[in-house]
Amino acid sequence: MIEFVSGISVVCFAASYLVALACEASRLLFRSGVRGAAMIAFAAAGLFAHTLFLLWRAANEHAVPLSSAFDWYLLVAWLLAGGYLWLTISNPKTPVGLFMLPLVLGLIGAAHLSSREPFPQSPATQVWGAIHGIFNLAASVAVAIGAISAAMWLIQAARLARKQAPTQGFRMPSLEKLTATTSRSLGLAAWTASAGFISGLVLNAVNRRQGLLETVPWDDPVVLRMAALVAWLVAAALVSRSIARRPNAARVTAWLSLVSLGVLTFSILWGLFGATRHGVPPSRPAAIVGEASQ
Amino acid sequence: MTIAFVGGTHRTVPLLLRERLAFSAEQAAEALRRFRSRFPGREVVLLSTCNRVELYTAGESQSPPPADQLVSFLAECRGIDAGLLEPVLTPQQDEDVVRHLLSVASGLDSMVLGEPQIVSQVKQAWALARQNDACGPLTGEMFEAALRTAKRVATETGLGRERLSIPSVAVADFARGVFERFDDKRVLLIGAGKMARETLRYLREAGARDIIVINRTAERADQLAKSLGGRPGRFDDLAAELAAADLVVSTTGAPEPVVTPTVFARAEADRQGRPLVVLDLAVPRDFDPRIGDRPGVWLYSIDDLGSACDANRRSRQREMPAAVAIVEEETRRFMGDLHHRSTAPVIEQLRAGWSETGEAELDRLFRRLPNLDDTARLEIRQAFDRYAAKMLHPPLASLRNESHSGPPHGLLDALRRLFDLKE
Repeated sequence: MIEFVSGISVVCFAASYLVALACEASRLLFRSGVRGAAMIAFAAAGLFAHTLFLLWRAANEHAVPLSSAFDWYLLVAWLLAGGYLWLTISNPKTPVGLFMLPLVLGLIGAAHLSSREPFPQSPATQVWGAIHGIFNLAASVAVAIGAISAAMWLIQAARLARKQAPTQGFRMPSLEKLTATTSRSLGLAAWTASAGFISGLVLNAVNRRQGLLETVPWDDPVVLRMAALVAWLVAAALVSRSIARRPNAARVTAWLSLVSLGVLTFSILWGLFGATRHGVPPSRPAAIVGEASQ
Repeated sequence: MTIAFVGGTHRTVPLLLRERLAFSAEQAAEALRRFRSRFPGREVVLLSTCNRVELYTAGESQSPPPADQLVSFLAECRGIDAGLLEPVLTPQQDEDVVRHLLSVASGLDSMVLGEPQIVSQVKQAWALARQNDACGPLTGEMFEAALRTAKRVATETGLGRERLSIPSVAVADFARGVFERFDDKRVLLIGAGKMARETLRYLREAGARDIIVINRTAERADQLAKSLGGRPGRFDDLAAELAAADLVVSTTGAPEPVVTPTVFARAEADRQGRPLVVLDLAVPRDFDPRIGDRPGVWLYSIDDLGSACDANRRSRQREMPAAVAIVEEETRRFMGDLHHRSTAPVIEQLRAGWSETGEAELDRLFRRLPNLDDTARLEIRQAFDRYAAKMLHPPLASLRNESHSGPPHGLLDALRRLFDLKE
């Protein structure tokens, strides 16, 4: 059993999710009586392997979730994959996987490129570090869900505007439901990203005052990109709220949510390929984090 | 074994005659009893719907009742001149009957292709025959095959999935695309054409409760509101009612649009951005089409909905080949089983002959070897049985294979002659 669990790699569950995505895509091409079961089976197998992989790392490599960039991305992917499985079982006719699984696979790809080295920690800053990680995690999941919901809203609205009956295998939820999900996700993303950013500032300040760990400069690219993301999300949430009683509010909110995902993606790519002192142990020089994992 | 059928559908029987020919449940039960006494030994099921009257009969005899007798029977039951029915009722036999029943149950022969109600009507017809001791194993298997085929067609093809009526498409494909629920929505009904009532029925099924009816004549609005379970509104308050509504169904007979961009602009200011679905089922249209360009307004005219229905109809047509293939497969399977069943007496004789000979030989052997113990006797007996089974396997397998392509008369004759079996 131990041999089996230790043999699970990122490729195992990524491949399962990829097959589930292929099944989802085949909805558009042909009808099948067994596809639903196959889709759920592959997604469930992937999620099971994904869970075992995270547990194995936590138990044997002392890499608890959120303790490194690698684990952080995998945990976001795990949450979205779990959400996908739940939504597919509860709404089998909605092709939610076409929107969620590419994000899951993208996050797994980001994990693959990011550092597996644990973030530097000290007992005094452990709590702030956890708060910082959890809020950023929640913000990322909220942005992802909001963007997925927004994309579905735009597709559904385009179909209704073209006055076409739903396409077989591509039935979207109602605009009412999607509007509510998009709007709530955007609000939640703004709150949690703000809390994540502020807790990061506090964490950095505590480190700086106590001289426990090397601090991240205030003009570090990670600080700047997070500040930009938070500013965007707060502005987007405020705009969405202020136009809530206008006829085109849902459409504007949908676009704001999609752009939010773009900003988050840009921020992740910047984090992956830019030089930073964020999450780098004190002894190391500022480096490209992706290279640190090589 | 023979299966026979006589029946007519909306395609062959004119409506007036179909109305006279239709059987109520009581009349059908009486007809089944009369059939059993008229044609003893024949199983019978009578399927009578608004679009078809069909009599299915099956029995062990080699020749079924002639078609003209079945037509006369139906005519007699409904008090119609048989001469009127003969040209419009179609007789069929054996495999064609099975194929027809399987097609009927799957909705392939329905007026609206793939409509699902026919399955329950077929079930009811079979249940009525069972209650009146009119059906037996043959019709039972045939109707079981029909229901199995209908289920396969429903699950393996998209034949019955898309909606075809304008009210059902309006609610299920468009209103439901905008709104998640209807129990907290206000429905405004302007005018009261037949299609509006039908649309309202679907909306009620979807949960709509708050319904306002307005009409140019206040008394008519009161009457309609009462009959439709809604509240009457004033036509003069049209702009205010539009502002409060979430979904509008409009079917006035007005020659000009009732809701112009000017009227709608007054309502729009008070809507506070809530989406509005308008199902304009009137001809000419009640809503100026420019209103559909306003943000948050989803306006569908009867032509828009008709186009969606046509697209759905074409989509069903595309599923036809797959459905027909399932019907063909199930028909072949049923007929193969049926033909194989007709070989049962020969197989029984063959087995009995071998068993009898084997027993006689065993008795002779055991008498000559009296010292054999029970274990040895059992071993020898089992060896004999295995030998017999192995020898019989090739001819029985040939019979089974031959049954798939039709009644294996030639092979049965050969077996009878080779093994000296009786007819």
